[in-house]
Parts: sequence; structure tokens; C-alpha cells
Amino acid sequence: MSDPVLSIRNLSIDYIGATSDFHAVKNVSFDIGKGEFFGLAGESGCGKSTIAFAISRLHRPPALIRSGSRILLDGRDVLTLDDQALKQMRWREVAMVFQSAMNSLNPVLSIERQFYDVLKTHTGMSRTEARARAAELLKLVDIPADRLTAYPHQLSGGMRQRVVIAICLALNPKLLIMDEPTTALDVVVQREILERIHKLRQELGFSVLFITHDLALMVQVSDRIGIMLEGELVEVNDAQAIYRTPQHDYTRKLWASIPRLTGKPIAEGATQ
Amino acid sequence: MAFLLRRVVFYLAAFIAAATINFFLPRLMPGDPIQKMFAGAGSDLSLENLNALKLTFGFIDAPIGEQYLAYLKSVFTGDLGRSVRFFPLPVTELLGRALIWTVGLVGTATLIGFTIGTLLGVMAAWRRGTRFDTVISLLSIFSSSVPAVVVSLITLFAFGYTLGWFPNGYAADPMLDPAWGWDYISSVLYHGTLPMLTMVIVLTGGFAVTMRNNMINLLGEDYIVMGRAKGLSDRGVMLWYAARNALLPTVSALAISLGAVLGGSLVTEVVFNYPGMGNTLYQAILARDYPVIQGALLIMTAAMLTANFVVDLSYVLLDPRLKRA
Amino acid sequence: MTLLTQLLRNKKAMVGVTILAIVILVAIFAPLLTEYSPTQRVGRPHQAPSADHLLGTTRLGHDVFTRLLYGARISLAVGFGAGLLITLIGTVLGIIAGYKGGVVDEVITFLTNMVLVIPNLPLLLVLAAFIGQASPLVIAVILGFTSWAWGVRVTRSETLSIRQRDFVKSAEMLGEPGWRIMSFEIFPNLISIVGINFIGSVLFAVITEATLEFLGLGDPNTVSWGIMLYNAQNASALSVGAWWDILTPCFALAVLGLGLALINFAIDEIANPRLRTGGMLARWTGLIRRGEGTL
Repeated sequence: MSDPVLSIRNLSIDYIGATSDFHAVKNVSFDIGKGEFFGLAGESGCGKSTIAFAISRLHRPPALIRSGSRILLDGRDVLTLDDQALKQMRWREVAMVFQSAMNSLNPVLSIERQFYDVLKTHTGMSRTEARARAAELLKLVDIPADRLTAYPHQLSGGMRQRVVIAICLALNPKLLIMDEPTTALDVVVQREILERIHKLRQELGFSVLFITHDLALMVQVSDRIGIMLEGELVEVNDAQAIYRTPQHDYTRKLWASIPRLTGKPIAEGATQ
Repeated sequence: MAFLLRRVVFYLAAFIAAATINFFLPRLMPGDPIQKMFAGAGSDLSLENLNALKLTFGFIDAPIGEQYLAYLKSVFTGDLGRSVRFFPLPVTELLGRALIWTVGLVGTATLIGFTIGTLLGVMAAWRRGTRFDTVISLLSIFSSSVPAVVVSLITLFAFGYTLGWFPNGYAADPMLDPAWGWDYISSVLYHGTLPMLTMVIVLTGGFAVTMRNNMINLLGEDYIVMGRAKGLSDRGVMLWYAARNALLPTVSALAISLGAVLGGSLVTEVVFNYPGMGNTLYQAILARDYPVIQGALLIMTAAMLTANFVVDLSYVLLDPRLKRA
Repeated sequence: MTLLTQLLRNKKAMVGVTILAIVILVAIFAPLLTEYSPTQRVGRPHQAPSADHLLGTTRLGHDVFTRLLYGARISLAVGFGAGLLITLIGTVLGIIAGYKGGVVDEVITFLTNMVLVIPNLPLLLVLAAFIGQASPLVIAVILGFTSWAWGVRVTRSETLSIRQRDFVKSAEMLGEPGWRIMSFEIFPNLISIVGINFIGSVLFAVITEATLEFLGLGDPNTVSWGIMLYNAQNASALSVGAWWDILTPCFALAVLGLGLALINFAIDEIANPRLRTGGMLARWTGLIRRGEGTL
């Protein structure tokens, strides 16, 4: 792929223990292109969230990104950035929607304040300018500007999720990471959010790294999909290819485990 | 609002509970309660005065229910009887003066201790695993496990007697008359230094450990990670995302520890001969001045409840989830 | 790793346990460690520390070192006795309140908050004043019955979170009676919190007993660290320069307190691994330094 937004090479991440280490991510490599929607699927504990955290270097001890790993954002290796550069990079180039957005918002600060702190830090905007920009962003996700003075607990789960997405887009990042953003929501809200993201992608042109264990959902929305098993990336392909011609044993097993309502079951080893 | 209202009702109930304890204690002890309570007055007590005292404390010729109500009535109209030792000084007047000294000492010490303690706790949590954290944690464990009586005695020994830097007792130079002039105030500050130092040492450690542990317990929360992911400065995340949230359970802990704080201040006052509530209660116990003993329990409870209420107020101010439910 | 093994590896716990062990041994073997009796006049009043009297003598000519050793017995006895009582009442009430919920919970919580909000030491003083001179046993009993409130709160909130877990629900569905669930399903999961509660209560009891005796509410014939403080204070030890008279019990109380607090902190760290200081991160830091990785 030429000019990928994100290029991960030989990424290995361990959790260091007192006597032994847990290898959470084993030598994973993949790219995400400009404006691409990339899905990363796998069961719980396979390492997908670990990768997501590593991109913005959000890990804390005992996590350790082994040397030899490279995470290139627009050509720059994130792992070599100093503290200052790292903080500037965060949110400007990569923004992240966490697993339970209900808990991603600081409970003691107003919504407006949570826009202001990121806008002030990165652009030096004044309070009034930030408020106007925040209202704009909330409009993108269909939330009235009067909710700016509210506190997170006063909003519903779905609304909080949308506020987080709005905050993510504040600095027009190139890559939006979404870590199981819809798992805790009902299917209707899930669909709404995904449609919204689709529209925003068309407007603003960012790439998406979408992490979930729901393979069926992913096939419907992703351009390409990567399948992870126990820390390894076992298959990467276009969404349709993953669906129709799964190559790896595990991918086939994943499909086989989904009950179908009608038609022939997806047999193991089926090719069309 | 509903929250605060419920707290007020609860405090009222607790106050009545304290009064109830006061009511039943003399009646449950062996011997004649009236004899026990007022024996110390000696010849100063004319029959009239004795009867007035008996009425205040509910020792009337009526079934126990009425006695109880009579006592409650006295309490709620501010009549706590008269000191048997300093007859006819009203208990409220005697304790009122003492209360000011205690509130001054405890209030200031708690403010200082809480502020320093929580700041140290925040820093220790943020620098977790470093030597700073280990040192602060150990110092805090130490300062919070040594009894107040020991801290005050050692402070008195070290700074009062051995080094002679500070006076050994009293709230102010006994030669001076209380006044708002600099002479008196500086004397108050000078004499108050050691008791204040003792209390701050006793209090700070507990707050530091509590704040540190609360911070650490929430450092894994999603909003903290999001704060860092936003590229905010370390200090920004530490203060506005972590500390600001950890403050809530720490303030709760403050409320619960108020009882221990008062207890610690009691001992400190006794050691330094400081004329606060604790020392007054103590002297009253030595002199078997029961009206003062009972009055002191009531007023100390009332002070505790008020302090708790103040903490509740600040909790409402700090937690937006309570402000607009 | 069981709780015990982890405790043995924790430096704080080891120091704390060592201190506690020394105090206990000293208390048990007191007669072997000193030739004097703690209540006999064996020297001149307020003698400074010397070869004959390692920590000097009191105003009544008693050997301070001997009183220190024998005094440990009472302090430990009251400490552990009252501590046990406090923990027992607190744990039982806490589990019942947390498990049963409803009216039972409300009543217990109300009572607990009530007891918590009335200042502890002043109440104890008033009680002791009405009782007269309180022997260590009486002190232990009063402490036991007035200080359980904090334990109830903590136990109750832990019980509440365990109550929701699947194994409890399945036991209920199997028809296990309430008391069995509380004793055999819930209680075993509360061990660390009960442990912390117990050690904390022992610490509290030791401190409060000493304080009450210092204030003159104990039986002056007892040989305990609190009474040593009381006697020293009455003898104006500080003003006459007999520092050993008053500093010895101070030091003893501080050391015992420190030991107990260290054990508690260690248990807390083990139960809640996030709270640990140093140690565990050593290997990680080593790898970082060697350039084997980054965060």
C-alpha cells in the first residue's frame, strides 16, 4: 500500500510479570490506508485492544512494547517520539473511542469543559472560541448545543457515546480508533452510530481502526479486516474475501460459530 | 437537596441519641444518681438551686417518660445546667469559651493536615513505585499509627523541654489578659504552635494514605486514559482528571475520621494544658463535675455533627452528580 | 499464591510481623528477661538509666525496663481481646446488613452511622467516668461494644459487591439457607478485609486503652504501658528531667503501633495489587533500562 496512514511493523507487546511474561501481541504487521475502514476482529484477550492502546502509547507498566516494533503514523515512528512530540501527536493525528464511552467522560467536568481542555492544549483557543467549536462538533453528531453545560451523568449512554465521538473529531484526526464502541449499546443505537461514522468519514476523510469481536457486523462496515488469535494476526484481507473465502482455519471456525437463520450453513473449507 | 435534608434529619436523631445516653447513664450506674451527680457541689448548693438543677436534668417526681422529655426540653432550650465545681457558672458559658479554643485548634489543624496530606497523596500516587512514593507511604503509615498521646508527649519533650523553643502549656501567656491586640494574639500563636504541630502530624499521614490509595484505585478508569489520550499535560490529567475525582472519597473519609480527630485533640489538649473542650471535659471528670461532663458530651457531639454537615455541604459542591440529581 | 505466601514476600509485612513477634515474645518471656518484679520498689526514685536499671526507675523506685516488659502483656491482651470483639461484632453485622438488605440493612446502617457520628473518645471518657476506675478487662469490653461501627461499614460494602456474584446466586437457587451462604460462601471472600479490620481494631484498642489509662481512668495498680504514662505524667517526669520514665512507654506504643500498621498496609497492598510500592516493577524497570522495550 502506498502512503498508508498507519503502518504497524513487527509489533510485539508483553505484560511483564514477577517471574514470567505474557505475550499479548506477537509480531503483528499491517497497514491502514487513507480513508480506509479497517476492522480488527478476534475473541476477548486476543490482543486487539492492546494494539489500539499502543498506537497512542497509552500503556502503563507492566506492559512493554518490545524493541524492534515500529508504529508509523504518516511515516513517523510513534515509538521514538519524545514526550513533548508524543503529546502533540495525540488527538491531533489519532483519536480514540474507548470501549465503554459512558465511562470515558470525566464525571466531574461539564461537557463544554471537556472540549475546552483538549482544544486549549492543542490550539490555544480562548474559552469562547472553544465553546463555539464545541457547539459545531456537537451538531455533527446531532446533539443540541445547550447540552454543553450538562455533566456526563445527565446524558443517556448513547448520547455520551456521541459526545465522545464529537470530542474525537475536534482536531480533525487522520485516524479514529474505535475499541468495541457499540458492544454495550443496543442494536438500534449501534446501527445509528455506525451510519453516523460512515457519513462523517465521507465528510472529513479520516481512517478508522474498528475493533470488535462481532465479525458479522464488521463485514458489513469494513473495507478490510484483520483476524487476531492469541496475539497473532492470522489473516488480513478485503471484507468480502474474509466473508466468502476465509483462508485461515480460525476464521472459518469464527464463521461456523455464527448461527444462521436460513439457507445452507457455512461449511468448513467452503469456497465459491 | 434531598440528600442534605436527609443528613440533617439524621444528625438531629444522632444528637437526640447522645442526649439519651446522657439521660440514662447516671440512672444506670449503681447508687443514687442525684447524690452522684450533685455531691460535688457541697455547701454552695441551696435547696432551691439543687431543685433547679434536678429539674434541668429531668430528676422530677414523674414517670421516666416525663423525666426524659423534661431533660430533652432543657437541652433544646439551651439549658445545660450549672457547673457543680464552679457553681453557679452555667455549663453553656463554661463550655462555650472552651469550644472556641478547640474549634480554633482542631479546625486549623484539620485544614492544614488535609491540604498537605492530600497534596502529598496526589504526588505519591502520580509517582507510584518511585522512592518518593515509598518514603511518603512509610512516613504516612508511621504518623497515622502512633497514638496522639505519644506524639504530643514527644513533641512536648523535644521542642518544649529539651530545645525550649516553645512554651510547655496553656493557650497563651497566663500573665496576659485576653484582648485583640498583637501581644495577646502573638502569644496565642506561640503557645498554640506545639499543639497544632502535634495535631498536624497525627492527621496528615492518614489523609495522605487515603488520597494516595483513592487516586491509585481510579488510575485505571477509562476517563483517565482518555485524558492522557487527548494529549493533555501530565499535570492536567493528574489534577483535573485523577485528583479531582479521588477527592470525593477522600472527603468522605474526612467525615468519618472526625471522631478520631476530636479524640486526638482531646489528648493533645490535656498534655499541653490547652483550655479546650477536651481538657475541660477531662478536668470535669477528675472533679466529678457531672453537669459539665454531660454538657461536654452533648456539645462535642453537636460540634461533630456540625462538622459532618459542613463536610456534606462541600461534598455536594464537589460532586456534580449530587448537585443536580 | 496464597495470602500467606504473599505476606511472607512482602517487606513491610515481614517487618511488621517481626515487630509484633518480638513484642509478643517479650511479653511471654518477661520473667526470664529481668530479675525484678514490676511492682516492687527496687531502686531510688527517678534514677537515670544505668547498668542495674537499663531504663532507669520510676518515681516510686520501680524498674522501668521490667514494667516495660510486663506491661506488654496487658497492652497485647486488651489489644487483641478488644480487637477480636470489635471485629466479630463488626463483621457479623456487616455481612448480615450487606446480604439481607432491606429493613435489616437500613436498621443496621442507621445504628452504625449513629455510633460513628458520636465522638468515640469523649463517649468512652464519659462512660469510664461513670464507671469509676476501669480494669483492663472492663476497658476491653467497653471498647469492644462501642467501636465496631467502622468495621460494619467496610464489611457491608464488600459484602454488597460479593452478593451479586454468580456463585452466591447459584447457592441461593440451590436452596442453601441464608446463614450457610453468609458463613461459607461470602465470608471466605472477605478474609483480607476482615484481616485488615482485625489488625486495625487491635491497633485502635491498644492506642485507646493507653489513652484512657493515661487520662487516669484505668486501675492504677495495673502494669500496662498506659498506666506507665499516667504515672510518669503524675510524677511530672518531663519537668524533672526523668525522660526515660515517660519516653519508654511512648516508644513502646509507637513501635507496636508501627508494626501493626505495617502489617495492615501490606495486607491492603496484597489484596489490591495496584497499591503496591516498588518491588514488583523492578523487573520491568530493568528491561526498560536495558533498552529491551518502551511504553
